[in-house]
Amino acid sequence: MRTTTRRSEPAALAAIALLASACATPAPPTELLSLSPDAPAHKAMQTRMFETSGETELLSASAAVLQDLGFQISESVLEVGFLRATKERSAREYGQEITRFLVFLLSAAASVLGGSNAATVIPVDLHQQINASLVARPLDANGSRHEVRVLFYRLVWKGDGRSGDQYIAPGDQQMQMIRDSGIYQQFFARLSKAVFLEAHKI
Amino acid sequence: MRLESGFLWLAIVTLGLCLTTACASPAPEPELLSPSEEQMKLRTMQSRTFDVADRTQAVRAVIAALQDLGFIIERAHESLGLVTAARFAEPRYYDVMGITVTVRPQEGGKMLIRANAIYNNEPVTDPKVYQNFFATLERSLFIGRN
Repeated sequence: MRTTTRRSEPAALAAIALLASACATPAPPTELLSLSPDAPAHKAMQTRMFETSGETELLSASAAVLQDLGFQISESVLEVGFLRATKERSAREYGQEITRFLVFLLSAAASVLGGSNAATVIPVDLHQQINASLVARPLDANGSRHEVRVLFYRLVWKGDGRSGDQYIAPGDQQMQMIRDSGIYQQFFARLSKAVFLEAHKI
Repeated sequence: MRLESGFLWLAIVTLGLCLTTACASPAPEPELLSPSEEQMKLRTMQSRTFDVADRTQAVRAVIAALQDLGFIIERAHESLGLVTAARFAEPRYYDVMGITVTVRPQEGGKMLIRANAIYNNEPVTDPKVYQNFFATLERSLFIGRN
């Protein structure tokens, strides 16, 4: 009897600790708003320098490139060289659909064998919104050189699913920064072409 | 019979008490809108003055600093000197951080910059966090000037 009470003590303590920690909201970490070690790498990927004096032309060329890529410009502030653009696309992927089907098959087989309802339908990504936030700014006092920094990220919405008897409602949202350097290179290649065309009025 | 009427009275009195407490709304505190000492402290740690005369330059430096810190610029207003940005604390995407920065010209060619940061809908009150921000902003202003 004694041994069982001794054994249950740590378990009770752990349960209390778990309850206490569940109630307390975690305090924001103090290193918030300080530069992360990979900030320079991200900056290098997202930034390009352009030898042009016309900031307005640079911004309109950027807007044109974003439009070419299927974006809708949602906000523009010329005074600080700021553009914001979005595009909506389907987020369905074959890989996810196949995984969903296989998981369903396996769980359905398990529920037939086990006699319980364990059929699982995992939610897959349905829709995504790709966002671009772009800032152009002069690098020197006379404004002969400018830099453009663009940031791409996406919001993904999931469809509905089922885990046994539990229904998983649709609309679960997830956010993802786009860190693929190829996408940024592609954007800047198009932009330098557009800036050249804009400068020579072609 | 007596017992029953006793219960009835008790019920009526309780109901009456309930009704009176429901009607009486708590009086608003007289210092509801007056600044508290904590607010003053928070404002002091959120604000800093810089030797910059040009507001556009200051707003651009704020935007560049926020971008360096991984923020997504959501709104920028040059004439009001207002920048709003947000970021998701990667890789934990459920932690959201928002920030609003205002840039206001002061007398003597100085610029007052104030930042309000919010972490998961709670205001950030840690002075270290604001020190971090102003350190990055200072660097951004300094590089922008050269």
